[in-house]
Amino acid sequence: MTARYDIAVIGGGIMGCATALRMAEGGMRATVLDQGDLGQGASGANAGTLSLQIKRVKLMPYALKGHHEWKAMGDAVGFRKTGGYTLAFTERESELLHERQTLKAEAGAPIEFVSNNHIRNAEPNLTQKVISASYCPEDGYANSSLTGQYYRGRLRDQGIPYRERCPVTAITQDGAGFALDTPQGEITASRILMATGAWLKPTAAMLDVDLPVNARINTVSVTERLKPLTSTVIGHATGLLTMKQKTNGTVLIGGGWQGRGTPQEGRGQVTAGSLQPNLALAQFALPALENARIMRSWTGFEANVPDFYPLVGALPGVEDAFVLGCVRGGYTIGPYISKLMGDFILDREPELPLFDPGRNFEED
Amino acid sequence: MIRLAPDQSAQIRRTEKVEFTFDGTAIWGHAGESLAAALIRSGRLHLRDAPEDADPRGAFCLMGLCQECLVVLEGQTVESCRIELQPGLDVTSLRYGADG
Amino acid sequence: MLLLCGTAQMADLIDILVVGAGPAGGNAALAAARHGKHVVLLDEQVKPGGQIWRAKDSSILSAPQTPEGSAGDALRAQITKAQIDHRGSTRIWQIERQSEGWDVHVLRDGQVERLTTKTLVLATGAHEFVQPIPGWTKPGVFGLAGATALFKQNLSPPGQRTIVSGTGPLVFFVASEIRRLGGTVAAVVTPNTRRDWVSKLPALARRVDLALRGALWIAHIMMNRVPIFWGCSVVSVEGVARVEGAEIQKLDANWAPKGETWSIDADSLCLGHGLIPSIEAPQLSGITISYRSDLGGWVPDIGQDGATSVEGVFLCGDGAGIRGATAAELHGTLAGLSAAEHLGARTAKERATLRPRFNRAARFGLAMTALSTPRPGFAMLTKPDTIVCRCESLTQTRISQEVEVGAASSNAVKSGLRAGMGPCGGKYCQTAIARFIALHENRPEAEIPPSAPRPPLRPVPMSALSANFDYDDLPIPKPAPL
Repeated sequence: MTARYDIAVIGGGIMGCATALRMAEGGMRATVLDQGDLGQGASGANAGTLSLQIKRVKLMPYALKGHHEWKAMGDAVGFRKTGGYTLAFTERESELLHERQTLKAEAGAPIEFVSNNHIRNAEPNLTQKVISASYCPEDGYANSSLTGQYYRGRLRDQGIPYRERCPVTAITQDGAGFALDTPQGEITASRILMATGAWLKPTAAMLDVDLPVNARINTVSVTERLKPLTSTVIGHATGLLTMKQKTNGTVLIGGGWQGRGTPQEGRGQVTAGSLQPNLALAQFALPALENARIMRSWTGFEANVPDFYPLVGALPGVEDAFVLGCVRGGYTIGPYISKLMGDFILDREPELPLFDPGRNFEED
Repeated sequence: MIRLAPDQSAQIRRTEKVEFTFDGTAIWGHAGESLAAALIRSGRLHLRDAPEDADPRGAFCLMGLCQECLVVLEGQTVESCRIELQPGLDVTSLRYGADG
Repeated sequence: MLLLCGTAQMADLIDILVVGAGPAGGNAALAAARHGKHVVLLDEQVKPGGQIWRAKDSSILSAPQTPEGSAGDALRAQITKAQIDHRGSTRIWQIERQSEGWDVHVLRDGQVERLTTKTLVLATGAHEFVQPIPGWTKPGVFGLAGATALFKQNLSPPGQRTIVSGTGPLVFFVASEIRRLGGTVAAVVTPNTRRDWVSKLPALARRVDLALRGALWIAHIMMNRVPIFWGCSVVSVEGVARVEGAEIQKLDANWAPKGETWSIDADSLCLGHGLIPSIEAPQLSGITISYRSDLGGWVPDIGQDGATSVEGVFLCGDGAGIRGATAAELHGTLAGLSAAEHLGARTAKERATLRPRFNRAARFGLAMTALSTPRPGFAMLTKPDTIVCRCESLTQTRISQEVEVGAASSNAVKSGLRAGMGPCGGKYCQTAIARFIALHENRPEAEIPPSAPRPPLRPVPMSALSANFDYDDLPIPKPAPL
């Protein structure tokens, strides 16, 4: 049995690790526990897109701050600010694009609409079938595969103990705090933070709290290395495509196409029925992909709640227990919103409002 | 010299020799054999450069797994160990520095 | 279900889909067909036979017969006679559970296709383990098992003058074949000692036929004054852009290199250190895996006669543990019968008769696996600047640095360095990396599982996956919340 921590963070993704770092800066003795390796859930499986064009209007201030965090992390997380285009191929998509990007621009994202001539010059390998497009110079990407390596290094540098392959199987609370059962022994802490992403529901259930969290099962694929074809982050007005060519030449293709499986059962599965149209759309946008081979496809579980806003605050009904989960744009916003979470637990005034996990999810 | 297992190479009958090109050089092989086999026989072992360090590479596993024997055929990267040789194939090595 | 892309549909539901047409899969298909089941047999190669009985390609008009050729021809003839629906040049890239069984997605002739089957028999065989040594990436170095593909399919030697270095019986077969096909063997180098072989005499005595054949290979090599270096290994490959020679060193009892080294000139090198079960397809079907060093490493969990914990999925052959070809044939028959039984056939009696034969054959195969499996000291052959991950040109130093800063699993090393994210999917680095992590962390290899396999099981052209896409069929979802 180890000494009691000020806080035990369950879940070693971006949010768990970044919050632990913030709290340690504030003087707390924190530990991070993960059921697998650090950064292997949604934090490590997502497509790494950092695009203001696909963020929610109300979350734009958080996303703008998130971009600054990623930029500061820089090469260590494979950050690249490339700019990004969102494409429309039909009149309907074009209307949708204008309506939505205008609202996002008003919310503070430097999004502009560009001429077809502009996009053909900037991205000559894209299909000629683009009828309108928006551009955001702030957009880019990071390499989500490096999440675990990055935070493992940060936690080690800061002397924050972490345990991998350490699933929490039961949580009990007494007057002094919490006791967590794990295969590596009991861990005790005065407070706990649940940052288990798509696994938040079973985590909270250990304290008899029902969080309305389910999982989206997003599919991501990558090609073999190709000669340079595109230099920006490419999106689609419907959100069905994200695509970027990494510096090593591979093209990463996402777009939220759904695989299947549940977090409780372990890994999600890619389905051919989702994968094929996802890749076909990518090839439609970038015809030169025709000659590429797909190397790997995988899925990541993204937490989802009925109103699609983050969960950042106190676990309802349990003193000294906290929840942090980000729905939509968690990769972009995660490093920033974790600071707000850390500040809240440290009893500091957060810079921007939190998102009460106990709210009524039916209202917006 | 005693040969318990005799050299049988002279007893093997193959299809006619056909020509193909590798990086522009004419090479012959037997129609129907694997492209990798024809390249190995011709002494063209260096088929590609490793993308990270330009280390020379060639066929290794010969069973379609290792992806070391990749070459370019009609704009597509293919495993030369799984391509059947036909006359007139225009094959290029895979050098990442050299535009694809 | 909405289908947007050109996945050709198979109208009929297959009873038993067998993946892999080697000794195991071929016999599984035959056994199931004997019980009247509708069997489809898939394989990457043009013709059945697997790696061990790989068929000659169409460039060979005639050639002297070999034991492997005869065995393969016999299997191919039986498959033809039984009118089994064999589909060659077909690669599976994804397996999905469906309500009525399994969808198996395949790539054939540049097109993808979906097959639906009630049951699956996976006989995916093995691939080779090669301990990374300095220079092993040079053109002219071939896998030891890989080289046999060249002999069997193409009847060609790997070069003019070849060094053959590796473990178990395969090293002698390869040397003998090179000479038969007109090549020159510069040396045979094997970590095994004559004493290692003597220790396997009880197992060898069970298969006098195979033992004699091995003895003949060795006698042939020795009588032709080809040097055999017992208890040694090639420890580095010389040459600039291709093999020009190799350095050989004596090994200690733990197979760590020790003492003087010497060089031999050659233009090619066959290098291999045992086989690893190819378990990706079973894993995609949801079958759990366990570490069994006696079976060649990580193997799918199977029960009697190829049954698994996943209903409707059966496994056989080297993909379920390296037991060799004879055991694979019997295991295949057993798994084919189990699959037929699952679909209502009565096969218990037949299986009971076969089981002791399988067990006997497996004992011989396992003895050969034991000779072929590297001992712990062999990891010392990999030097700090040796490339371990060929796809990403990652050296041992890069990997050890990553492990030292806490990447303590295959997944963590893969994520941090891309070891296993390249085109081979980790097939040629994962085992060496896992062994290194185990050594560094002082944990058993059984605690360092391979990364989860990800589809496609083989690279698939985008053009195949995107064929016949009609933009207007895109299911436009409700826009994401603003």
